[in-house]
Amino acid sequence: MLKRVAKTGDKGCCAEKATREVKKQPSSRTKQLRDLYLSTLSSANVEFPYWYTRKYNEMEHEIPVIRRAEALKHAFSHITPTIWPGELLVGSKTSNYRGSFPMPWLSAGYFVAKQDELIDSADKGGSSADEVSKFGAGGGNVTQSFGNVVSIAGKFGMRAEEVPALLKLAKNWSGKSVEDLGHKYEQMVPEYATKEAVMKSLVCMFDSGYTLPQGREVVNYYYPLQYGYDGLLAMAKERKAEVAGQADGDGIVGMDRLYFYEAVGITIEGIQAWHLNYAKEAKRLAVQCRDAVQRQEYEEIGESLEWIAHNPPRTFREALQMTYMIHIGVINEDAISGLSPGRLGQVLYPWFEQDLAAGRITEQQVLELLECHRVKLTCIDCFASMGVVGGVLSGNTFNNLSIGGLTKDGKAAANRLEFLILEAGMTCESTQPTLTMLYDEKLPEDFLLKGIECNKAGTGYPAWVNNRNGMEFLLKQYGPEGMTVEEARAIAIGGCLETSPCSWSELTLNGKTYQIPGGSGQPTSVGVHFIANPKVLELVLTNGYDYRTGLQVLPPHNKELASYDELQGVFADYYEQVVNCLVKTNNIQHDIWRKQNMAVYNSLLKPDCLAKGHHIGNLGYRYNATYNVESCGQINMVNSFAALKKLVYEDKRYTLAEMREALLNNFGYKTAEEVGSFSFAQQEKREGSQQQFDVIHRDCCTAPKYGNDDQYVDNVLLQYEEWFCRMCTSYQSLYAHPMYSCQISVSTHGPQGAVTLASADGRLCGTTYADGSVSAYPGTDRNGLYALFASATCWDHTLSQNSQLNLKLHPTAVTGLEGARKLLDLTRAYLRNGGFHVQYNIVDSKVLLHAQQNPEQYRELMVRVAGFTQYWVEIGKPIQDEVIARTEYEGV
Amino acid sequence: MNDKQVKHSDCRNFIGVDVAKGICGATNDTVLIDSEVCATFVMLKKCKNCGHFTLGTEKTLGRCTGFAKPDWVYEDLIAEQCEQYSPCKKAGVGGQ
Repeated sequence: MLKRVAKTGDKGCCAEKATREVKKQPSSRTKQLRDLYLSTLSSANVEFPYWYTRKYNEMEHEIPVIRRAEALKHAFSHITPTIWPGELLVGSKTSNYRGSFPMPWLSAGYFVAKQDELIDSADKGGSSADEVSKFGAGGGNVTQSFGNVVSIAGKFGMRAEEVPALLKLAKNWSGKSVEDLGHKYEQMVPEYATKEAVMKSLVCMFDSGYTLPQGREVVNYYYPLQYGYDGLLAMAKERKAEVAGQADGDGIVGMDRLYFYEAVGITIEGIQAWHLNYAKEAKRLAVQCRDAVQRQEYEEIGESLEWIAHNPPRTFREALQMTYMIHIGVINEDAISGLSPGRLGQVLYPWFEQDLAAGRITEQQVLELLECHRVKLTCIDCFASMGVVGGVLSGNTFNNLSIGGLTKDGKAAANRLEFLILEAGMTCESTQPTLTMLYDEKLPEDFLLKGIECNKAGTGYPAWVNNRNGMEFLLKQYGPEGMTVEEARAIAIGGCLETSPCSWSELTLNGKTYQIPGGSGQPTSVGVHFIANPKVLELVLTNGYDYRTGLQVLPPHNKELASYDELQGVFADYYEQVVNCLVKTNNIQHDIWRKQNMAVYNSLLKPDCLAKGHHIGNLGYRYNATYNVESCGQINMVNSFAALKKLVYEDKRYTLAEMREALLNNFGYKTAEEVGSFSFAQQEKREGSQQQFDVIHRDCCTAPKYGNDDQYVDNVLLQYEEWFCRMCTSYQSLYAHPMYSCQISVSTHGPQGAVTLASADGRLCGTTYADGSVSAYPGTDRNGLYALFASATCWDHTLSQNSQLNLKLHPTAVTGLEGARKLLDLTRAYLRNGGFHVQYNIVDSKVLLHAQQNPEQYRELMVRVAGFTQYWVEIGKPIQDEVIARTEYEGV
Repeated sequence: MNDKQVKHSDCRNFIGVDVAKGICGATNDTVLIDSEVCATFVMLKKCKNCGHFTLGTEKTLGRCTGFAKPDWVYEDLIAEQCEQYSPCKKAGVGGQ
């Protein structure tokens, strides 16, 4: 097995670059719509927030859930519907093609501080992530203001004439937002001072309660698909009459059911008006249109939107349109990243099957609709701070569509529509929806090979997830809430690769019944997000002091760390102090959110809110134990522990003081920021530096490394996992359920690496961590893929919501059918060994190097980062450097 | 309507794409928002063209008296879906 490591200094432009084997084209319509996206700027406006705020202020006499529903209705009813020429599916977050908007009711401080500096955001610890997070300068990111366009948060453009309104809105919410109210109460937590320091030092990446309070979850489309909105209105009215004035044995929230059903009705009316505004716009365009074909399409859009505003969909196209509108409706209700369509191919199969049988549609037409769907989901942007959108998400929105898996009765669930979903993923390469293959031994070979073909297109999707592992985790976590094996089979992935609890619902279409899966749990974007493991170890070595910020982040432990056991003990103690303060403060933020900003629309969609009469905040969902603790930089931490164990405690080649000195001096190198590269392979020695640290650096680099089937270091990982997964379950969310481990990096390995000193594994100051949770640090996996797999599976992945393994393969490694079969065998080998997740970047690193130097030539180039596919030019340099540096396998 | 120069995004034919540009529904051409408008310009319903709107002292902000409870508003807010929109006399073609 061959492998090589690319360096950012390689002259990629001069070398021959291997192209990807699979390359397909979308329909001319889709190409036009996708090309429009590729030339579109990320644009924010304040139309939705204006209408929302105006009504919210008017309703100050009302109870919170009604007030919120009225505000949502007012906003949905008034936002401008735009239909772009050639669209078959319509609807968007705002009137712009790639539009988004701020939600100052969640967080207003940033905008207020921007105008008059009344609030110093640094006081709240929110600015550190912004300082070290970087967006890609290309693509649609508006990183700088120009003309009448103002750059906000380094990504979003806003018309200058709307900025005064934005600031007015922000001031309106100042002191009332979830962030501000949460801040008021989180300060009452005794450990609040520690939390502040933890946030400022970026040991933790962000607060989840007011940034992205929902997301990384699977939406549920069932109720509108089955009953239509008029049916749901009738249901809410009927239930209101049944519960009005009755506690029914629940003296705490029993009476709240009346208000929830009232809120459901109000919100649905807003959603209906939103649909009807699109119908009206389509009809207006039809009247004006001179082109007969386009005119008919406008008429069909109008008729379709008018129908689904009230009724269940009649056709595949109407069903797809309805699910898309639900999707947009939910992400307009709240700041959400990672709202996943779930197993959409199985949800829509009834209409697909019946339309095909009746001759109402052809597979080619379905494919084009699926391509259009890809473009629409790719247009979704999520408005949040630079630290969150840039530093955590790399601008991605993680609309993860799962395929495969099992049916309710345990059979392979793959269907013909899912083949077409994979095909559309190739014909219309785009970042959304990303795809996840729920790998199960029962899935047919041709379906799995179709997934491999899609991988070979270089799209980075589908990711491969171990279906049985996921089910086992779900049963452990949600068994106490009543989950059965049958229900666990409804599993889907929310966000990057967050195993999410789902359920089955019986759908009837033209007399035939189907079991369709859908999300039934709370978001998993909530809890403690993300803890920089190497940074915690750094604090252990510095007695709790952060040299970057000059803060004493954690109380000095004042221990000599005389033994490896003591080192591990202090690490565990520090880590638990960090988690403890973050759990408490984030619980308060989320509690404020559920009291003031609860989901109404998302709630009415998910079982069992309509049955129970409770929204998400009152535990209406079937599964509520979704809060987690996310880690980052795990492999650098593991390698560092191994190096310390070997060099300091066993071989005693260096004292801890000598090691500490070498780390504080970055082994005699410049920092990554000074060099302007965040790749380990690209660092430079500091001028005039002595050779003082060369030997210790060499020894740190050659100490045992994870990813080589080396028991010495793999045991470090095993010990850590057994402690970490158990430790997470000892904390309780605001919903009084145990938390759990979540092990994905998303993009936080860039900014959190940027704030971390050199580490004992030889990694240099400010360089990006290893991605994912079981990916090897670039260049350190020297014994081939199967050795890496053995290391990665040394622990039980079902203890965690996920694990993450990213691999980079050269296109020539998987050419032809033989290459495809080898790649499938490789994937199987990992998953059969107990791996949870693996995904592939099939790309020649020379292409990435050339793209970094010539971004204007690569607008369409996509890469897999860590659980998501993103346009290369929209990724910040720290992550670009890390993707280039990843070990590239030239054979499998 | 105030006396500021109209933009493409003030036109009913304008199909917004982003903060810098859109598509002209009359010609299907891409147009920059801040470039000069053409003879086919049709005024879009915006608050600044509404009889319930009065310009305030804060830049681009004004007051809306169209609803039971008057409140501030911004002049470029699109009012196509506003049930209270009432064209002011100076709004010109469209906007009614």
